Amino acid sequence: MKLLLFLGVLATASTQVWGAKPVDVMLVAADEAALAPVLDHLKNAQVETHAAWTLWTGTIDGKQAVVTRSEGDPLNAVAATTLVLRNYQPRLIFVFGTARPHDLSLEKGTVVVSTEFVAFDGMMSPAAELGKGTHPLEWSKLPHPLMTAGEKEVWTESFPADAHARDIALTLNRADRHVVGGVLGSAAQVNREVDRIAYLRSQWHTSTEDEESAHIAGCAALFAIPIIGARIVNGTPTTAGEFALEFLSHWK
Amino acid sequence: MNFFRFLAFLVAIAALHAAEPVDVLVQGAEKPEIEDLIAALQPNAEKIAIGPFSFWVGKIGRHRVAVSLTGQALINCTTSTIIGIEEFKPRLIINQGTSGAQAPFLGLHDIIVDTRAVDYGIFTTRERRAGEGSATTHWIPSPQRIRDPISHQLVAPPAGFDGDMAAIAIALRTRNPMGRVFRGVIGSAHEINLELDRVRWSHETFGMDVEEMESAHVAAIAFAYGIRCVSFRVVSDAPYEGIPFYPLAARATALFSVNFLENLSDLPASPAR
Repeated sequence: MKLLLFLGVLATASTQVWGAKPVDVMLVAADEAALAPVLDHLKNAQVETHAAWTLWTGTIDGKQAVVTRSEGDPLNAVAATTLVLRNYQPRLIFVFGTARPHDLSLEKGTVVVSTEFVAFDGMMSPAAELGKGTHPLEWSKLPHPLMTAGEKEVWTESFPADAHARDIALTLNRADRHVVGGVLGSAAQVNREVDRIAYLRSQWHTSTEDEESAHIAGCAALFAIPIIGARIVNGTPTTAGEFALEFLSHWK
Repeated sequence: MNFFRFLAFLVAIAALHAAEPVDVLVQGAEKPEIEDLIAALQPNAEKIAIGPFSFWVGKIGRHRVAVSLTGQALINCTTSTIIGIEEFKPRLIINQGTSGAQAPFLGLHDIIVDTRAVDYGIFTTRERRAGEGSATTHWIPSPQRIRDPISHQLVAPPAGFDGDMAAIAIALRTRNPMGRVFRGVIGSAHEINLELDRVRWSHETFGMDVEEMESAHVAAIAFAYGIRCVSFRVVSDAPYEGIPFYPLAARATALFSVNFLENLSDLPASPAR
């Protein structure tokens, strides 16, 4: 029996511990402007630097928080998120910032809260000979594969948003600020062709585009960490940071 | 506490800390790209699972090696690379696997050793009104930004991230058992391009010889950590020749990587800056 116990521990010793320090929430945004309202409210702040990425830890509204900067692109966003998840175990990730509308009925200043996330950067073109041109409105979408236990990849078109956090965020409607649910899309792209925006929306059902939120959601999905996102349509980064604080004051 | 419980306690404590450092982290996105590498690890190789990602640790040649199954594309490979670096503290990262030819002279089983790796999927489109369509060759590319590990300032190498020169020199003296070896430029994005006009455009715009989905992302992360990095990509599909994806081509880079590791002498910890 004792030998079995020993062998059992040996077998599990090859699985490294993940997220050794539990916290309540991870807050992530693209840049200092969006993070400023959050960092201003972070009490007992400590700073960690891991290579190119910075993590701030402390408390907001009595909640243990880790704050990080995504730099506004998928690679840095996923790298920073991974570092947070490796070192901490957040109950929720909140990604926030500004966005450009794909749903052209969205008004400036509207807060779009994630019903789900899509990383819309994947594409596959049909074979075409030289001289036949390039036809981006005919490309197929290419979802992201996510690695799962057992070394199997699952091609995933959308990543889920946490329903409880979403419902709380949707209650933060005000007379001067609409809060609506929608699909947050991200890619390392700034799309300004109206026909392409319509094509992306038809393929991925995106409400908005930004450069990080869905990729962070994909990283969160790898480790089954709940996530919520909020993007201010054509808004200011500061407004997005203030919305994050408002959300935190309501979220338990 | 009896002997067995004490021993079990010590093993459990050991598991709380990062794994033993390795000399080289060798990555492949899919199983066919790493199977020959795992087979080459000397007896007593250990498998370590971290989240959904698997690593196999052992020795190839004189080097302690972690073989990593990264999964495909940016989300998987960025996550697994950060984990691999943080856990195993490698002195060299090799990202290797399959790719699509963009240079017309390349054929099935040829291997490109990267002089540089570039993310070609970052762009801003020009403004076009409704009905004016989409013009990919007018899109304005942007380089991947990353914070310099010394200055902590954001930098954006316009041509991508250079492969490690010492590793490239050894790779160019290493045998590819299935084809030729060239130095060249590897482009990464979550794209599969089969329109030859766009293939030619990206070849001319970025200097790309092959396209795939991971190398440039890994190279950017290695830059941030100040770790040597090199990529080997075998041609597994060649749109100019109408050759569709041939997954078994993956064996060429895996066997090439094993040969490379056998040839590899000791490297200083960090690349020259």
